Amino acid sequence: MSETNIDIVKQGLEKRYGAEKRFRIYGVCAIAASLIFLAFLFISIGTNAYTAFQQTFIRLSVYFDPEILGDTTNKESLASANFPAVVKQSLLKMFPEVQSRSEKKQLTSLISSGASYYVRDMFIENPALVGETVQVWLPADDDVDMLIKGHVERGVEEGERRLNNNQLGWIEKLEKDGNIEKRFNKIFFTTGDSREPELAGIFGAVSGSFFTMIVTLLFSFPIGVAAAIYLEEFAKKNRWTDIIEVNINNLAAVPSIVFGLLGLAVFLNFFGMPRSAPLVGGLVMTLMTLPVIIIASRAALKSVPPSIREAALGVGASQMQMVFHHVLPLALPGMLTGAIIGMARALGETAPLLMIGMVAFIVDVPSGFTDPATALPVQIFLWADSPERGFLEKTSAAIMVLLTFLIAMNALAVILRKKFEKRW
Amino acid sequence: MKGKKIFAGLGVAAALTFGAITFNSNAIADSARDYISVVGSSTVYPFATVVAEQFGKTAGFKTPKIESTGTGGGMKLFCGGVGVQHPDIANASRRMKKSECEMCDKNGVKDILEVKIGYDGIVLGASKKSSAMNITRKELFLALAANVPEPGGAESVVPNPYKTWKDINPSLPANKIEVLGPPPTSGTRDAFVELVMEVGGSEFAWIKALEKADKDKFKSICHTIREDGAYIEAGENDNLIVQKLDANPSAFGIFGFSFLDQNGDKIQGTPVEGVVPTFEAIADGKYSVSRPLYFYVKKAHVDVIPGMKEYLKEFASEKAWGEDGYLSEKGLIPMPDDERKSFSKDVQTLKNLSCGDL
Amino acid sequence: MDTNMNPTMLLLTILFLSVMGFIMGKRRSYAVANDAGGVSELHSRPTYYGSLTALWCAIPALIIFSFWLLFESRIITDLVISSLPDQLQNLPADRLNLIVNDIKNIVNGNISSVDINPSMVAAAEHYKKLNSLSHASLTVIVIAIAIAAMLVIQRTINPKLRARNHVEQMIKYILIACSTIAIFTTIGIVLSVLYESIRFFRVIPLTDFLTGLEWSPQMAIRADQVGSSGSFGAVPVFMGTMLISAIAMCVAVPIGLMSAIYLSEYANRTFRSIAKPLLEILAGIPTVVYGFFAALTVAPMIRDTGAFFWLDVSSESALAAGLVMGIMIIPFVSSLSDDVINAVPQSLRDGAYALGATKSETIRQVVVPAALPGIVGSVLLAVSRAIGETMIVVMAAGMSANLTVNPLKTVTTVTVQIVALLVGDQEFDSPKTLAAFALGLMLFIVTLILNVIALVVVRKYREQYE
Repeated sequence: MSETNIDIVKQGLEKRYGAEKRFRIYGVCAIAASLIFLAFLFISIGTNAYTAFQQTFIRLSVYFDPEILGDTTNKESLASANFPAVVKQSLLKMFPEVQSRSEKKQLTSLISSGASYYVRDMFIENPALVGETVQVWLPADDDVDMLIKGHVERGVEEGERRLNNNQLGWIEKLEKDGNIEKRFNKIFFTTGDSREPELAGIFGAVSGSFFTMIVTLLFSFPIGVAAAIYLEEFAKKNRWTDIIEVNINNLAAVPSIVFGLLGLAVFLNFFGMPRSAPLVGGLVMTLMTLPVIIIASRAALKSVPPSIREAALGVGASQMQMVFHHVLPLALPGMLTGAIIGMARALGETAPLLMIGMVAFIVDVPSGFTDPATALPVQIFLWADSPERGFLEKTSAAIMVLLTFLIAMNALAVILRKKFEKRW
Repeated sequence: MKGKKIFAGLGVAAALTFGAITFNSNAIADSARDYISVVGSSTVYPFATVVAEQFGKTAGFKTPKIESTGTGGGMKLFCGGVGVQHPDIANASRRMKKSECEMCDKNGVKDILEVKIGYDGIVLGASKKSSAMNITRKELFLALAANVPEPGGAESVVPNPYKTWKDINPSLPANKIEVLGPPPTSGTRDAFVELVMEVGGSEFAWIKALEKADKDKFKSICHTIREDGAYIEAGENDNLIVQKLDANPSAFGIFGFSFLDQNGDKIQGTPVEGVVPTFEAIADGKYSVSRPLYFYVKKAHVDVIPGMKEYLKEFASEKAWGEDGYLSEKGLIPMPDDERKSFSKDVQTLKNLSCGDL
Repeated sequence: MDTNMNPTMLLLTILFLSVMGFIMGKRRSYAVANDAGGVSELHSRPTYYGSLTALWCAIPALIIFSFWLLFESRIITDLVISSLPDQLQNLPADRLNLIVNDIKNIVNGNISSVDINPSMVAAAEHYKKLNSLSHASLTVIVIAIAIAAMLVIQRTINPKLRARNHVEQMIKYILIACSTIAIFTTIGIVLSVLYESIRFFRVIPLTDFLTGLEWSPQMAIRADQVGSSGSFGAVPVFMGTMLISAIAMCVAVPIGLMSAIYLSEYANRTFRSIAKPLLEILAGIPTVVYGFFAALTVAPMIRDTGAFFWLDVSSESALAAGLVMGIMIIPFVSSLSDDVINAVPQSLRDGAYALGATKSETIRQVVVPAALPGIVGSVLLAVSRAIGETMIVVMAAGMSANLTVNPLKTVTTVTVQIVALLVGDQEFDSPKTLAAFALGLMLFIVTLILNVIALVVVRKYREQYE
């Protein structure tokens, strides 16, 4: 009996099912690989970062000595009054046995050099404290902080530590008396940059990134979508549109620092915009993300089946109506994906900001689009390059903050995408 | 009706975009600079920022903005001209070049004050896990130069044949030569070449003789660092070098002293000619691999940008750059007393730098 | 009404007037239609009459608004300067600019540097006065124009007015304007690197740059260094870029494409909606993080594995950088491909199933070819990103330019060199720095050629359905 077609098919079935299964497994593996990697990165960052959300504080009984402060009625002179001496004095009082000059210097270096600003602010808020003694928790020096958190071994030889045996002894006494404590690191979330790890905060960089991203989003998404619509739906397919298409693809490959050069030449030198401003950063990022958004939007528009267009035109819609009422809503999920990937890249980019002056030490938190500002990835980059050990955990913590931003942005896109996605 | 909503949404977004442009162009027109703008070297950055922060918190002025652009990029911005859009101060990890000074002059930046702030030690470090190894500059030269004097003793150079430290000096360990260091674009590299490679090369009498006779040849022997993998150009992130050393005990790294200072539990400084790189040894000149750091001030800005004079005063105060100053805490090696005095006088009198002196 | 509005308020007012215009235009069209015998008598739907009014109300007003603000400050500054005492006026332009900065500082209540002298205070007052005068007149003019435009359009609304065509034409112009930005960007980029590149090619001949096999900008040609020269052969740098990008693509394309296929064809909705954004996070993690990971985890791992097999692996290897970079660009492939695969019409799949194809066969032979242009687009984007990446390469692959295709050796890439040369400590006019611009220009041309090839190839192999 000769084989029928169905037999031939049946013979091959097992193999085909095997291939089917393998194909599926490849897919699962691919996703698993990426997700495992992501988890790994998160865990490794997280383990470095979590200690930065706490900060070592030392409790001092601060005596607002009228003799040291001098004239406390005058606001002007108060700002420059010798608050460091007030802090130092109260620390020295806790260890009366410390007498020699060098020992005193070692002892007072346990407290952060920024502690006096907190005392000053407290006093300016309440000048009635003069002559009073108040219990205050003040930030410890970063060396102490690293020791308490266990990032620096206590066991190593004296010469290899930043703290000597005397200082270690004082810290142990403070610990025994409960005068040293790890507390939630509010400073990190509320202040701008600082060169002292214990005083450095992320808020300035977050604000800078926020303003930059607002500008980027406002410009790149509408312009990108509009350009994609024109190129895909209206422009005649000819050599000219080919040139534009190649050109846009090519722009996506231009190294980001070159966009920085462009920003320097056009926005700063030609238009005279200020250096280091989030506005300029946002504009440069816009130029950088535009190709990504245009390419993604065009792909999304392309993937809307021609039948939809024909149906719309068939019932008498104009081309513009067809695009805006029918094609655009269906292409939106893809456009959002492009926008998210582009924005994510812009959020994590440092190199173009270098040329326009945003890789900078800026302490004051920016409050507008033209204030000098830096951005989160820049802050991460600068901290990663700092010698102080304390910045290591700060770097990781800043990365966590950046990732939180990223996740929030992605979540928003997911919600939007879910609303618009359709399969036919 | 979804389409219509999107349509309207895009319209409003476009309008807002447009508005944002115009609104901001207005904001720019109105703005005025009331803070000091500093640009320049990433090596000076960690020190200048400390001063800026102190200044911002105590002096009642806004904290200066300090950009890390590299010395060359900083000089270009600095010499761009006089006016608010140009920076007031440029940090430099080397002295200003004559060509740069002339460019400044051409662009109307005629009066410049030069201030040396101190020294930065350049150290050769290795992981604590490795055994300490004493090394001389001559040995370093032999280990790192692209072309070395022929081992037989002839007065000619051959491509560097040395693979391990033992090949150079039998008393050194038999480890593979592996040194992580800055790329040729870096000022640290220039300083290292000048202070170590040139001196090391000059230990050979005939190379030393070349310095006078054929300077170009001398430089090409001493300045060319091998590119066959023994010297790894590691970028400018010194923290990364420190961490790589920690992971790879047989490697050495070239980096700034402050990183050694901060990582004393992980990294040891390798003694060069028997001198361990410590703060004291660098400060009194026993450890000779250190380079001066500078900043340059545009004098035309001193009276018109708020806080300039006060910032200069803060920088040139004993409390900042003195022997016990807060800059030394951060790893800057202070200048000797008389040098400090002379530069702080320069700051007071705003001494003019003339391009001819460079 | 206070006539002295600040620009933000004015902007909002224009928007408000524009919305008003929309409503009024719509009403007016209904009114006109009723007179003519019902809405069906109108040429366009009422919304278009509204939109037309709104657009005419907003656009001229916004144009005037922006031009005014563009020139306002310059004119006011000139006026203030002309009222300054003579000895100040005669200062050179850049010094004058500093004086104006001081005046503005006084106006804004900032700390000013000099002892405030009376002529400065007077100038500041003058400045303030002019400023408010200017704002007031701007407010009046802009609002007047908006309202006038609104009224004129109101008058012209009649059933014969082809409002839809007018509105669509206006929108089309806006779309065209947006699409030209990409062209301007390109022109800008070329112009901003061209000048310096030409200067570079004056020192280093173009042929040396293009065919030189050695890249070693160790010795810059400086005034004090006559004779000795660095080698600026770009071949090894471009080879390095290709090597690292190729490794990255070997990681990203299979993983990304398979993830995309799995997500769009096999995974259920919930899994997809969670996994996709998670993957997208990979693209947004700052490259410093990847750099540290590549340098401190992956590179030593590769070195140790290599040592196990008696392979000589450099502790900085192209492989480490490429692998990690590949992971970073997975989402470019996966997310964008997922979108296009998802958009392939179900009817195509159903057709394949009806012929007895298994799911994977359908995907391989029908869905992927149908989605090919989009997939290629996403891969191109991923390549572009790989070429442009700096930080990972600097940290994990080092900066020495070796001419090699061995992934276990140290290589460097074009972008790394550009960044290193630009932010280095050498003089800005030295060939070292200028080389950065030349590299940028070369990279631009090379990627342009690659893109043209990609376009032609896609044209040839794409399958158009429906």
